[in-house]
Amino acid sequence: MSVPDVDADAIEELYARGVTDGLPVVPPTRARVDRAIAASGRPGDELVALVPPNYGRATVEKIAINAVMAGCRPEYLPVVIAAIDAACDEAFDLHGVSATTNAPSPLVIVNGPIRAQLEINSGAGVFGPGWRANATIGRAVRLICVNLGGARPGVVSMSTLAHPGRYTYCIGEHEEASPWDSLAVEHGFAPDQSVVAVLAADAPLGVYAHNSRTPEHLLPTLAASMAVVSHHRMTHWGDTLLVLSPEHAKVFGDAGWKKADVRRWLHERLRWPVCALRPGLDGGEGLPEHVLAKFGDPSSDTTLIPKFRTPDNIKLLVAGGLAGRFSAIVPGWTFSKGSSLVFRPIHAPVHSR
Amino acid sequence: MSDYLDPTDSVAVPRKTARRPMSLDGKVVTLLDISKAKGNHLLDRIEELLRERTKAKAIVRKKKPTFARPAPDGLRQEIVGATDVLVEALAD
Repeated sequence: MSVPDVDADAIEELYARGVTDGLPVVPPTRARVDRAIAASGRPGDELVALVPPNYGRATVEKIAINAVMAGCRPEYLPVVIAAIDAACDEAFDLHGVSATTNAPSPLVIVNGPIRAQLEINSGAGVFGPGWRANATIGRAVRLICVNLGGARPGVVSMSTLAHPGRYTYCIGEHEEASPWDSLAVEHGFAPDQSVVAVLAADAPLGVYAHNSRTPEHLLPTLAASMAVVSHHRMTHWGDTLLVLSPEHAKVFGDAGWKKADVRRWLHERLRWPVCALRPGLDGGEGLPEHVLAKFGDPSSDTTLIPKFRTPDNIKLLVAGGLAGRFSAIVPGWTFSKGSSLVFRPIHAPVHSR
Repeated sequence: MSDYLDPTDSVAVPRKTARRPMSLDGKVVTLLDISKAKGNHLLDRIEELLRERTKAKAIVRKKKPTFARPAPDGLRQEIVGATDVLVEALAD
């Protein structure tokens, strides 16, 4: 039987309009968008945020159009709205994140009961494919950055390399496999609250550590990978995520270590004397001129300079499958006045599915 | 055009680059360092060449607190109100 291929035509039309991320999008019909708006529990013309750097108006309807295109189910809308609200907070610096020659992309981290309600993956393959909610929520955020923020690659978004997370980047925390409070609870939210956090994030760097059975054995391996975030002599870095697999987290939990203990250990370990951080030693980068100027003789000064500004800049969460002693470092994009981790509660109406 | 809704913000005004002057003679030129490494070296050289080759009324140096964020409003207003030409340095 021969039928007109309406969907294929629509997909091509949307490519021609230049509003995709390079993958085909779901055509945003009035009916689909209206279903998404209804599921948000908000009026379509409500302004959620202005999206830097072009400051396009992210109304609920515009967010819904992009979410439909990304393939979101209507009930994902509250998560996308909260993520956009967070990413447009001044503290996130989406202007810089979208325009920089560096590579960051908003990583959407979801905590709370909405993970189960929407089937947001926090377990095996957490950064990978196979889960509609993760794939399409992260993709919706990207489409909004481009279509409302203007972050077109090579035009406004000047990232030299970028990374695959710029297609989609969304994970849940595996709270049930963690010995600790979740990332959101640690930052003041209630355990029964659903919350998103956004981090201006580089690609995850996997850390293999199969033979470490105590915190004292595991931490040096984690620290060695954290030491090279951005550049091996970059210091005073800000928010960066350490994603512990459940098996690695259990090493700390079984030994009675708190998150604060892990953070403190890493912060103290990741410090180097001024004399070892001079520019030009074993590579071009080093302490900036205005910092070096504070020390009389940098070539012999042994004052320790930390990799991370404070222990609290090392953010911990537990994610991934129950089997496997692999963790990941997710570097933030956090120059001295750059981007910080930003949280927003998710305001989700009750849905019947 | 079809019935598909517009995912962009059609209200946003497209930006145009400013008109380029034919000459810098008699103009106030601002050199804006965005705080990237070695931006000052680049601007030092540009200032030197401008002083050699033009009759600019004044050459003013300004600096953003960080390259990672837009220039603060105060700095932008200072520049807008007092300059004819702006050169922004990236460097690295």
